[in-house]
Amino acid sequence: MKYLKQLGVLLACCAAGDALSILLRGRLPGNVLGLTLLLALLVLGRVRLSQTEDAADFLLQNMAFFFLPACLGVLEIFSQIKSEILAILAVCALTTLCTAAATALTVHLMFKLQHRETEEAFDHD
Amino acid sequence: MTELLSSSSFWLCLSIGCYALGQKIQQKTGSPLCNPLLIASVLVGALLVLTGTSYQTYNESGRLIAFFLTPATVALAVPIYRKLDVLKKNLLPILSGALVGSVVSIGSVIGFCRLFGLSDVTTRSLVPKSVTTPIGVALSEMLGGLAPVTTIAIIFTGIVGAILLPAFLKCIGVRNPVQMGLSMGTAAHAVGTSRAIELGETEGAISGLAIGVAGLLTALLVSVGSVFVT
Repeated sequence: MKYLKQLGVLLACCAAGDALSILLRGRLPGNVLGLTLLLALLVLGRVRLSQTEDAADFLLQNMAFFFLPACLGVLEIFSQIKSEILAILAVCALTTLCTAAATALTVHLMFKLQHRETEEAFDHD
Repeated sequence: MTELLSSSSFWLCLSIGCYALGQKIQQKTGSPLCNPLLIASVLVGALLVLTGTSYQTYNESGRLIAFFLTPATVALAVPIYRKLDVLKKNLLPILSGALVGSVVSIGSVIGFCRLFGLSDVTTRSLVPKSVTTPIGVALSEMLGGLAPVTTIAIIFTGIVGAILLPAFLKCIGVRNPVQMGLSMGTAAHAVGTSRAIELGETEGAISGLAIGVAGLLTALLVSVGSVFVT
């Protein structure tokens, strides 16, 4: 019963997220809105961690498995993308490096900026 | 025999078996190349082709598995809530890093797709390829992309990230664990995070956080972007 209730909390957030998504005319996916809603409820103390964490941990630990049917969907469309598959893989590899480098550089600059601010604050003292 | 091949329990059972085998192989070899999802896809895919079972038949049971993706995505709120203090302490660097990373990801995908002459549908499918699959697939469908192409691109991105990023980031001078974790989570989502956890506790925590933050920011960027495009 404990797991069923915990799953119920998660599913309630999914349903509320879907409802919000419909209200926003599909501009944001329901699952993202559901995630935001659950985070807000946790921060506000409306939902306690103990009311949902076991079911959440089970789902997160096995998340990769739930992607299997979507992955196999490639069987259906393979003939359509056969000619593009190498280019797709190249785009994925190159953009992953660009994204990581851009993120690392931004964090580095922000740290430097914050560091300088604290140093200046000390200088004024 | 043909009746067994159209039984949901049969394919459900087989899917779990192949995934469990994939996990065992990864544990034994310790290589990020032996991704359990990749192994399970190849095994189940081969069995479908060998038995001449259509994807539609498989998907009768596949739908039961895929159903759990939505609650699993909502469940990401739990690790974010657990690491709320780390997030608060490094709020500005984390948010700006994930934001710039998400913008560069979308921009570089569009740029490289044009460079390689990929079709419009493929480009739309690849735009959300750096974020976690449930968010990425939802965004791809919103943009008019093909969900299976997006899924394959996301998983390949994760595997490439897990293999290349630690060495690549060290090469360009990354030493700070927050910087390392955020870059891996933003660029390579959950698969990148599984590698970041091996690098250290902070790397893993921040990388896990980045899955949610970058996913949310990409969703916002794409939905704002689609308003301007349409």
